[in-house]
Amino acid sequence: MIKWIAYACFLGSFLAFGLGTLGLFRFPDSYTRMHAVGMGDTLGVGLAVLGLLFLSPGWSVRIKLIVIMLLFWLINTTMTHLVAKAGLIHGVQPTKETKLRKG
Amino acid sequence: MRRRSFALFVILFAFWLVISSEADLQHVLAGVLIAGLTAWFWHDLVPRLPEVPSARELLRLGHYLVLLIVYVIQANIAVARTLLFSRHSVKPVFMVLDPGLNSHWGRILLATCITITPGTITVDIDPETGWFIVHALTEKTGIDLLYWRLIDKIRRLETRETEAKVPVSVQPEMKPPETEDQRGVTHAVDAGRIDGSDPRGACTGDYRTDSDRQAHFDQRHHE
Repeated sequence: MIKWIAYACFLGSFLAFGLGTLGLFRFPDSYTRMHAVGMGDTLGVGLAVLGLLFLSPGWSVRIKLIVIMLLFWLINTTMTHLVAKAGLIHGVQPTKETKLRKG
Repeated sequence: MRRRSFALFVILFAFWLVISSEADLQHVLAGVLIAGLTAWFWHDLVPRLPEVPSARELLRLGHYLVLLIVYVIQANIAVARTLLFSRHSVKPVFMVLDPGLNSHWGRILLATCITITPGTITVDIDPETGWFIVHALTEKTGIDLLYWRLIDKIRRLETRETEAKVPVSVQPEMKPPETEDQRGVTHAVDAGRIDGSDPRGACTGDYRTDSDRQAHFDQRHHE
């Protein structure tokens, strides 16, 4: 039973990564593409780790998996921010539909 | 100060124990040595670390993390729907957000949470005003961000350090002064070199009036 729950998690992870990759092709500019890839990076990795947590033999492995996931989320967000900021500074053009809005 | 150094040491040591596969004497000794040296080496940075949280704050932080995971899942579904069903009408926004946070770690926490939620990316933070420049996939995601529950949560976590400061959101005057207003917007535009649009013109298309917004905040504040 637990095996099948884990497989369902892997399937969800696959879907998240697949949709992220699809977004890479479908979205108009690099900023919007980053959102699509972010989908795989958060839910995709999260579900993959959840599935592995179900399958792993002991807590020493599970804690490591959780640490890996937390580090992945931290590093991934930092890099996304850096890529976006670098793009903005170096004049990567957003799509024409992009609006500016004062919150 | 010393407490924070010690907390850093404990965290480093715990991390060492997690990544080393065994917990025998040799590993523990090496871990104590390395964690102690690292904590000592970075003691200049300790004032920038947040205070050691109390048990109650840890509970709040746990609640915060659970909320964050829920929001991440919701945002994933929203981005997937945009991608599959309305990608031709996708209208991203660059927006200036004033969360009213004062501490470094509060800003960093919020920036990380904004970026980790698909659909919104923190592009920049103005270190003086504390304003965020955020790229949102759709205008709705951007507006939802203005009233995000997590911003209030961080503000509440922050109050212990910045005591007696009234949160910006409940101050009667919502709009920052005009000069700073322009400054924030030009900052985004200068950095991005977004062509062919008058930034101030683009930003006046705000369909929520200030009084609406104020009412919303008041209502939320009373809850």
